[in-house]
Amino acid sequence: MDVNAFLDGFVLVTEPQNLLYCLIGVLIGMLIGVLPGLGPAATIAILLPITYGIDPVSAIIMLAGIYYGAQYGGTITSVLLRLPGEASSVVTVFDGFALAKQGKAGTALGIAAIGSFVGATISIVGLTLLAPIVAEVALDFGPPEYAALALLGVLLVATIGSGNMLKALIAATLGLLLATVGRDTFSGAGRYTFSSLELADGIDFVIIAMGLFGVGEILYNLEARHGKVHVPAAVANIWPSRKDLRQSSGAIGRGSVIGFFLGVLPGGGAVLASLAAYAAEKRRAKNPERFGRGAIEGVAAPESANNAAATSSFIPLLTLGIPANATMGMLFGALLILGITPGPQLVEERPDVFWGVINSMYIGNIMLLILSIPLVGLFVRILRIRPAILAPITALITILGVYTINNSVFDIFVMIVFGLVGYLMKKSGFEPGPLVLAFVLGSLVEASARRSMLIFDGDPTGFVTRPISGALIAILVVVALLPLIKKLRRLRTSVATEATPTKEEEKTR
Amino acid sequence: MTILIGYVPTPSGDAAVEHGLAEAARTGEDVVILNSPRRRSTVDAHLVGDDVEATLLARAAEHGVTAAIDHADHGADVVDTFEALVERTGARLIVIGLRRRSPVGKLVMGSDAQRILLHASVPVLAVKPTS
Amino acid sequence: MSDQRDDRAATGTDPGEPDILAELEAEIARELAEERPPAGGPAYQVVGALVALALGLGGAILAYGYGLGSLREPGPGLWPFIVSVVLVGLSVALLIVGRHLTDSEAFTRSSLQPAVGLLTFVGLGALMPLIGFEIPSVLLCAIWLRFLGGESWRSTAVISVATTAAFYILFIILLRTPLPHLF
Repeated sequence: MDVNAFLDGFVLVTEPQNLLYCLIGVLIGMLIGVLPGLGPAATIAILLPITYGIDPVSAIIMLAGIYYGAQYGGTITSVLLRLPGEASSVVTVFDGFALAKQGKAGTALGIAAIGSFVGATISIVGLTLLAPIVAEVALDFGPPEYAALALLGVLLVATIGSGNMLKALIAATLGLLLATVGRDTFSGAGRYTFSSLELADGIDFVIIAMGLFGVGEILYNLEARHGKVHVPAAVANIWPSRKDLRQSSGAIGRGSVIGFFLGVLPGGGAVLASLAAYAAEKRRAKNPERFGRGAIEGVAAPESANNAAATSSFIPLLTLGIPANATMGMLFGALLILGITPGPQLVEERPDVFWGVINSMYIGNIMLLILSIPLVGLFVRILRIRPAILAPITALITILGVYTINNSVFDIFVMIVFGLVGYLMKKSGFEPGPLVLAFVLGSLVEASARRSMLIFDGDPTGFVTRPISGALIAILVVVALLPLIKKLRRLRTSVATEATPTKEEEKTR
Repeated sequence: MTILIGYVPTPSGDAAVEHGLAEAARTGEDVVILNSPRRRSTVDAHLVGDDVEATLLARAAEHGVTAAIDHADHGADVVDTFEALVERTGARLIVIGLRRRSPVGKLVMGSDAQRILLHASVPVLAVKPTS
Repeated sequence: MSDQRDDRAATGTDPGEPDILAELEAEIARELAEERPPAGGPAYQVVGALVALALGLGGAILAYGYGLGSLREPGPGLWPFIVSVVLVGLSVALLIVGRHLTDSEAFTRSSLQPAVGLLTFVGLGALMPLIGFEIPSVLLCAIWLRFLGGESWRSTAVISVATTAAFYILFIILLRTPLPHLF
């Protein structure tokens, strides 16, 4: 690791402008974590037009702050209102709200903040140490490796991520297809442009992102039935006791590690990490009945895990140029807009961006640790604003924002179309995340694949004979066939143990 | 017969509860306390939790009055909720608390109390907090 | 909430051992499902699969027209063709196995709300170059607040005007973006 570049990164981050953007980012992140409705991916999508105007490092610092800041914010409503602000804070509801009902809301929030901070920091250290190494290994990657890696990333997101796997794969394939719209860089021929001048340049990533995530999410939220009104639990005691800290230290440590590894995995991320950490904690507990009734570990573990995962999910993006989840896909697109190509060369070519982002996370998490507790009262007051009032404001930001990119009304309509697509996808159970991810990687996959074919002189077995790409293809095949193998195993065990009534067996065949 | 008290956790609301309970004790009626949150809110400052509810019921018991608490939510116009409850319970009187609102304040932000006073179908007792 | 987890079947690897993770997922799915319309029926699944199928077939046919070339010298249509064929395959698979999934949401009366929202977006996009963004924005806010949000006329008026004014200050005065504006 280049220590000088690492230290230079800190110098960059502590510039007043970058500190300000970091603060803005984490505050916005906390805010949308608290407010039900928009998530970090959607917010980043909506704020993408802003990145056109500001310095690349500042922009990425801010957008990154939104992502891990949201993990802090989601906890507040989970604990105080039994209402998860973010998907990654859903598990915190079980024990967090139970603690709040026992008058220990402050304990829960405090442990959550500390756990989040520790989880994030452990993850950042891991990121600091691991990222340069991975980037260095990846420098040997050629086009075949990239093609295989990008495809593996898309596949993992579809299989591990939320939603039905088959549908996620369909969404991803559609994303790959959409990426081909426009002029083919190799031959100059127009593909799927239908003689439209605007389409000849391909579909702008920002428009798709704002449409699918921004408008789609806004439309989807409009349809929510009237939930019940909540009474926030009082936050009396602020700090957890020493006993609480001791009791949760193990959970925090384990949660951080689980979060770190699950975050790196494409398709994993904060949501899966929080679930896995909670389940692991419950499984190893001496009296698991405590869980769901106010076990402090039930708050510490998922909160550490989700922050650790949110941080470590930056690794594939910064070192390989592969986004691990939808939010990373947004950041990938943002980097492209700013003229920065994510990949293993990033640490060498743009150490300011690489280390600037990583080091900003240290500072951002410190800011969050300091701010998250005092601001709880403010956030509960902000929750009094009816969602119906915030909705048109978000809508206007999105529409006016997309116009400012190219001063084009056509963009608005394309965005609206994708907004409708995103809404319909969510209604019919297709996740928009894999589509955006595949779209973002689509041109990379195709370019790498075609270049590979040129290298192999038309022989596709070249993919398998090269060691790294061969290994990746092997993993690809295993991941693709895993669900089939699982189904076959279930069939065999259910036939063998006919006497035992199996509980779930939602037969989809 | 029943007396309907509109309650929010403010001095005006407390005054309304006091006067409403006193009136009910005087005439031997029971009381329905309406604590109505704004529909479609995530959090409403006016909605009270179980602990406050218990306090209210205890206060009613002190006066020797049977009380029930209703949390029917209201939309843009709170009068409808009051009216629906009046019909359901057969209340003969509404008791609400008033707070000082300037004319401009009433113009921009509206006044629920004023609307209830003007449109309720039963007599309305409007009380001010004892300062 | 941005992620909607579907009601995945509990994946007990050994029958009899309670899978904590699956239990949690199921409980979470139930919590999130409270505020959403009920699940859609098999028709939704079939339609979804058919749409994907149609897109795949269309893509494949068009890609064929662009020229597939050979593996040695891939033509512009080769990659889209491969992708479209995969899409067709996946859609057919979904058609076969997906009928009993419960992860779709039915269209109900509350689906009118996003429909109206969509129309206001189109309206804003259409009117903005003609009469500037101010009036369509006020209208959009008013429709969203009054009809979609159930606010009173008074607060609708105040918030619509205030929001549009704020955006005017932000976009026109502070940022000086070339947004078409009337005032």
